Amino acid sequence: MSVAEDLSVAKTLLNVEHLTMRFGGLVAINDVSFAATDNEITAIIGPNGAGKTTVFNCLTGFYKPTVGRLTLNHPSRPYQLEQMEGYLIAQRAGVARTFQNIRLFPAMSVLENLIVAQHNRLMQASGFTVLGLLGLSSYRHAEREAVDYCRYWLDRVRLTDRADWNAGNLPYGAQRRLEIARAMCTRPNLLCLDEPAAGLNPRESDELNELLTFIRDEHKIGVLLIEHDMSVVMEISDHIVVLDYGQKISDGTPDYVRNDPAVIRAYLGEDEEEGGS
Amino acid sequence: MAVLSAAGADAKPLDIGAMVKEAGLAGLIAFGLAFGLVGFETLDVPGGLAINTRFDDVAAVVVLTILGRIAMILLREHRPLLVAVIGLPFSVVLIVSLVFGWWTYFLPFSSAMVGWIVALMAAVFSLRAINALSHGDTVASREQREKTMDRIGARVQTAAKYVGPLLLAFAIILPFLPFADRRILDIGILVVTYIMLGWGLNIVVGLAGLLDLGYVAFYAVGSYSYALLALHLDMGFWVCLPFAGFMAALTGVILGFPVLRLRGDYLAIVTLGFGEIIRVILLNWYEFTGGPDGLSGIPRPTFFGLEFKRFAPEGMDTFHTFFGLEYSPIQRIIFLYYLILVMALITNLFTMRIRRLPVGRAWEALREDEIACRSLGINPRNTKLTAFGIGAMFAGFAGSFFATRQGFISPESFTFIESAIILAVVVLGGMGSQIGVVFAAILLIGLPEIFRDLQQYRMLAFGSAMVLIMIWRPSGLLAHREPTLLLNDGKSKPQETS
Amino acid sequence: MQGSFEYFLDQLINGTTLGAVYGLIAIGYTLVYGIIGMINFAHGEIFMIGAFISIICFLILGAAGITWIPLALLIVLIMTMLFTAIYGWTLERVAYRPLRGTPRLAALITAIGMSIFLQNYVQLLQSARNKPMQPVFSGGIELMQSNDYIVSLSYLQMFIMSLTLVLMIVFSLVIARTSLGRAQRACEQDRGMASLLGINVDRTISLTFVMGAMLASVAGLIFLLNYGVIDFFIGFLAGVKAFTAAVLGGIGSLPGAMLGGLLIGLIEAFWSGYFTVEYKDVAAFGILVLVLIFRPTGLLGKPDIEKV
Repeated sequence: MSVAEDLSVAKTLLNVEHLTMRFGGLVAINDVSFAATDNEITAIIGPNGAGKTTVFNCLTGFYKPTVGRLTLNHPSRPYQLEQMEGYLIAQRAGVARTFQNIRLFPAMSVLENLIVAQHNRLMQASGFTVLGLLGLSSYRHAEREAVDYCRYWLDRVRLTDRADWNAGNLPYGAQRRLEIARAMCTRPNLLCLDEPAAGLNPRESDELNELLTFIRDEHKIGVLLIEHDMSVVMEISDHIVVLDYGQKISDGTPDYVRNDPAVIRAYLGEDEEEGGS
Repeated sequence: MAVLSAAGADAKPLDIGAMVKEAGLAGLIAFGLAFGLVGFETLDVPGGLAINTRFDDVAAVVVLTILGRIAMILLREHRPLLVAVIGLPFSVVLIVSLVFGWWTYFLPFSSAMVGWIVALMAAVFSLRAINALSHGDTVASREQREKTMDRIGARVQTAAKYVGPLLLAFAIILPFLPFADRRILDIGILVVTYIMLGWGLNIVVGLAGLLDLGYVAFYAVGSYSYALLALHLDMGFWVCLPFAGFMAALTGVILGFPVLRLRGDYLAIVTLGFGEIIRVILLNWYEFTGGPDGLSGIPRPTFFGLEFKRFAPEGMDTFHTFFGLEYSPIQRIIFLYYLILVMALITNLFTMRIRRLPVGRAWEALREDEIACRSLGINPRNTKLTAFGIGAMFAGFAGSFFATRQGFISPESFTFIESAIILAVVVLGGMGSQIGVVFAAILLIGLPEIFRDLQQYRMLAFGSAMVLIMIWRPSGLLAHREPTLLLNDGKSKPQETS
Repeated sequence: MQGSFEYFLDQLINGTTLGAVYGLIAIGYTLVYGIIGMINFAHGEIFMIGAFISIICFLILGAAGITWIPLALLIVLIMTMLFTAIYGWTLERVAYRPLRGTPRLAALITAIGMSIFLQNYVQLLQSARNKPMQPVFSGGIELMQSNDYIVSLSYLQMFIMSLTLVLMIVFSLVIARTSLGRAQRACEQDRGMASLLGINVDRTISLTFVMGAMLASVAGLIFLLNYGVIDFFIGFLAGVKAFTAAVLGGIGSLPGAMLGGLLIGLIEAFWSGYFTVEYKDVAAFGILVLVLIFRPTGLLGKPDIEKV
């Protein structure tokens, strides 16, 4: 129960309280509350249609929640995410995300994808374009720094030698890694990953585990993870939230969730049947 | 038969019945299309309309369609030899007779243009057939074509590093070449104006991916800003130029603010609407814009205060006396030519530069995926607004040049067709390709100006070029994108997956 | 005079006639948008071609000595629909089908290219001059009279309204009841699935263009009868306004297109009647902009949820 102890000590990074999202008559999420902390991987699991991606879309400002408070405790000040525009959530509160169906900039190079992720920082360095147009050395310096940071992440996701490829030409697994690296280049406090292991082979899955634990341990940020691949979830998450039909049915450590009868009934039971395939 | 099927060993026997049916159907459709509008001509006679028949033209259209269709079927069924054997001599004879003007003897058409089209089609068919004979493959898949075209685009861009300066050098010495009379220079000015407009629109369409169908509105705002300031407040061109650009950019930002969140095709239609609104306002606001009569007597630009006139006005000096030259009206034309050339080059430099800045990369990222941009903390609206505003600003600069060159402007110069022409220049050249715009402008604006006979077919050619190029390559003919910065310089160039 | 009820009624009749034209064109936009999600920018030119084929038909009939009006109208109507439909079919086959599955903007640029092409094609073949035609109908019934202001409903206007009504009912029934209509609605939902279920998607899309072209050609005929003069450029404005109508009604919705057409017609008539004729086009464009900004789904359209 060491994780439970950690929970009490660590400061919560994200507080989701009574989150409800309705689309017309359809209730996608119903009164869900949970918390995520720095330096931890929190997994959100649940059967298809349980409302996991909707939670992400509310967190990252793509949907306005019908009811609920989403508080992000940024080192400088708390942010109410439900009141913020999507791009500000990424820019100010430092919430970065990836997408279920990868959204890279396919016609731009791998390096450019990562540079674009550092847009706001570079925008300031370029004096909102004016100084950059004049070609001042301060901007060139900032750009070099940005490239160095890209190189750091490229090394991490093993894409350095393909840095000048078009992102769209990368194989699938590499695109997944690139999308995570791109999200990290925004220097987030909270990283939300929507099914990062989908479509990966077992070796790539292992690499992903390594990458995610690296992000947690070295960068000390919170990671929120939607995943179906139980080998990933159970191995690396510190804390699991289980959703079913838009409701939270369980919340705790992997061991606790694994043995929770409600979860077994709603989810893991089904998963074992699927496990054969 | 043995000869016919020699090209493809795996070719199935030709199904003559199906072929006749297919070609007949095409002929029938062609007949349906041509019968009404080609077959009958409405003639204006006193007191109404009369009708005249042109059934021979209908017959020609139908026959040519059937022949063309048969050629297509033969190519598709891997029998290129026949097409080459018939098509090549046919097109050669046709082209020779067109060149020497003999075509009237054996072609039924009322215009040489139709003859040219037929000859070109025949040439295309026979070239494809020859290509198939030598390479053994006739049908290229879309991806293959895309790859080939991208490679050509890349080659053109590499070549542009050498061709660009050559073109520029040619552009610079053009006024001093022996054949450069006033007409040639006027055409030059026109072409460079469109190059500048194309480069400006390329920021909006090519980089930011925002289809703006009302670009001419900003051109109009720039023109009228300069004209009104010059006429009412007696301000000079050089003072007005930045102001005209600013006004156009402001208009762009104001119009763009509410609409830039719309999805691509809706945005296109709304910008078209705005373009028309501005034109209708210019047309009807008599007190301010002179309505359909326009504004005339717009002052000409000066060379640092030196006028291009035979005699200087009170207290001023003229260009030719200051430099001790003989007065000649062409001096002003040459000056205007250099003026627009410099303005266009500034536009180009600006674009090349801003592409490598964060805002330029954000434009391209927005074009690629707006949702991903939002998730990275990029403000989509502001980013689009800057693209829209900067694009509009260059249109405004070009507009004030247009006003000072013409000396007279009216709403007639700012119709939707003008927007469509500029868009065609961008699209034809390849969206995002700077050198492509140059080629497209020379091709679309320069050629029809030089060959006056082509004038009436110009818009027809525009329309069909836009359609054909989109079908051939939706990203534009010479579109090719080089990364704005490289990590492994030259070591591992961006490559295709094998 | 402007304050009188008679004047109001007059504008109402004018607006409804105009609305019939816009509504008929708007259906073509809406059907095509519904099924392949593109703005068929060249649809206005199809309308213009319909008007030109109509005038040519009238001239041929006049030369042939067929002067009994009901027969002449029937022949012109059928011929126009037939020959314009071929243009609609060819447009889709030649210009749009090769572009299916490419980005929306490519299709829109093609459509603009087609629009420019068709305009200049007609201009080259039939000259750029105005084409006037003698009125076919005359007379009408007097609805109201006060002082010296007479409000009348001409036979022409009655013909236009009833023709429009009949066509709209027929086409609504086609879409609601027939297998073609079912196939169209299926393709609207999911083209890939529809083709797996044995629907001939290409044919369905072609027929949608044919239907749209037929209705636009009737709009062309009505325009010719009502205004008595056409030129190669009428398609642009009418097309943009009809598109506005389709957007106002909710693009993709058939009743929406009819309602939108009627509303745009009325707005234009009342705007010209009570404010200024000069700015009537601004009114239409202004509505387009406002609708797209504030209610992009239109009056009867379904909301379009952004998928992430």
